[in-house]
Amino acid sequence: MIRSVAHLQSLAWQRAHLARHKRSWIIMGVVVVIALFVGAFGYFGPVAWFALTNAVLHTTYRLAVAYGIALVLGVAIALVVGWSPFADALFPVFDILQNVPSFALIPFFIYFLGYTDMMIILFAVSSVIWPILFAVLTAIKNAHSDLNDAATIFGARGLRRIPYYLAPLSFPAILTGSIVGIAIGWESVIGAEIITSITGFGAFIKDASATGITHVAIAGMLVILVIVFVINRLIWAPLLAESGKRYSE
Amino acid sequence: MALVLSRVNAHFTDEGVREQPALSDITFSIASGSFVSVIGPSGAGKSTLMRVILGLMPIASGEVVRNFSRPAMVFQNYALFPWLSALDNVAFGLRMSGMERTRRERIAREKLKEVGLSHLEDHYPAALSGGQRQRVGLARALAISPDFLIMDEPFSNLDTITSEALKTDLLKIWRAYGMTILMVNHLIPDAIELSDQIILMGAHPGHIEKTVEINLPRPRDTRSESFFKHVDQLTENIRTIS
Repeated sequence: MIRSVAHLQSLAWQRAHLARHKRSWIIMGVVVVIALFVGAFGYFGPVAWFALTNAVLHTTYRLAVAYGIALVLGVAIALVVGWSPFADALFPVFDILQNVPSFALIPFFIYFLGYTDMMIILFAVSSVIWPILFAVLTAIKNAHSDLNDAATIFGARGLRRIPYYLAPLSFPAILTGSIVGIAIGWESVIGAEIITSITGFGAFIKDASATGITHVAIAGMLVILVIVFVINRLIWAPLLAESGKRYSE
Repeated sequence: MALVLSRVNAHFTDEGVREQPALSDITFSIASGSFVSVIGPSGAGKSTLMRVILGLMPIASGEVVRNFSRPAMVFQNYALFPWLSALDNVAFGLRMSGMERTRRERIAREKLKEVGLSHLEDHYPAALSGGQRQRVGLARALAISPDFLIMDEPFSNLDTITSEALKTDLLKIWRAYGMTILMVNHLIPDAIELSDQIILMGAHPGHIEKTVEINLPRPRDTRSESFFKHVDQLTENIRTIS
């Protein structure tokens, strides 16, 4: 918690942040009003809301698990690699791995895991992990050399360097990496669901568009929009505000 | 002697490819409990020298003898940990040495009080001014009760009034603690006012031009004739380097 904000600069920052906050609520409000309006005219008549919500929640669940695994794995790998003297040597290796088109790996995942929840989750992990890993590695690599020296001089040496210096140093990077990673994660999970037709939102809209009902796809997008908005406002926005205030210099 | 360097050479490596000489043939020694300033143009390797002394940078040849056990450093751009409050920043070194929370916080509070910031212990560095940050940096260094304190241009980002106040406090602290202080400075009058010895460095690659002893009595009168004579002489020396 920031207990006191003394600077005018931070106050200006806070005001700008509140303005952004307000704007996003207004935009979301307009979208919802329009949706309710067209809904009132029966646009969403053919939509099976219960099945749709179920499908979206299933997709969200897969993404959440995938994100959790990717976060732990990505941050752990990045911290250990960034701490080791091999960071510079391993960077290009990660770069190549990251550039492997993830959907090209789907047959491989299906071969080993079959058409299961676990397959989609681990497939999503393989794409969500990269932005997190790279953000943390870059943050460690670009840390000011004086800050590195200060950590060393005042005793954050050896393995202790990871929890007391590298991890808190990487906090803003973990945030931005997570936001980008989750955006990619939606794509991967829904894409994998469309390709493999295993339950979830992807499979749901695939079925729907096969029968020519576009209303269902639009309703589904609205539901996802609401979920993304809620996650953004409840989790990321406060965390970003916190990190922006503290790590601003 | 708190520190002896003899014929020390060091170089930079750019991306591990090219080697550039950074320090060439550095020889000097610092008496325990003395206040020593390093002065020189940019590119003279002053900061590199500090890193070598602290063992943060490998040397190519020569010898460094360190007769101190708890070195600390104050940085030009403060280098405070932005995720820690002022109090936690000051207590960082004690925390790393395994001291329990209540004890280290008590000591950190004492140190913050010593530098005049006890009312700001809950503030994060981003909410502090430059002078306040540098005081936190100084308190962080003092908290580990250092026997050798390195200061890399600690006043250069501060305004005159703030740096004058900090300088007075620093002299007080130096007298109270009796530690050895090595300070990189770029203001000649400051260096003369504070130091027992001034090491003059030249650039490309960094080398020692001259070592000057300042034997003026303390507390020093910065308006006296002998003071100005020293300033003149050192200014002349620097002019011939650059």
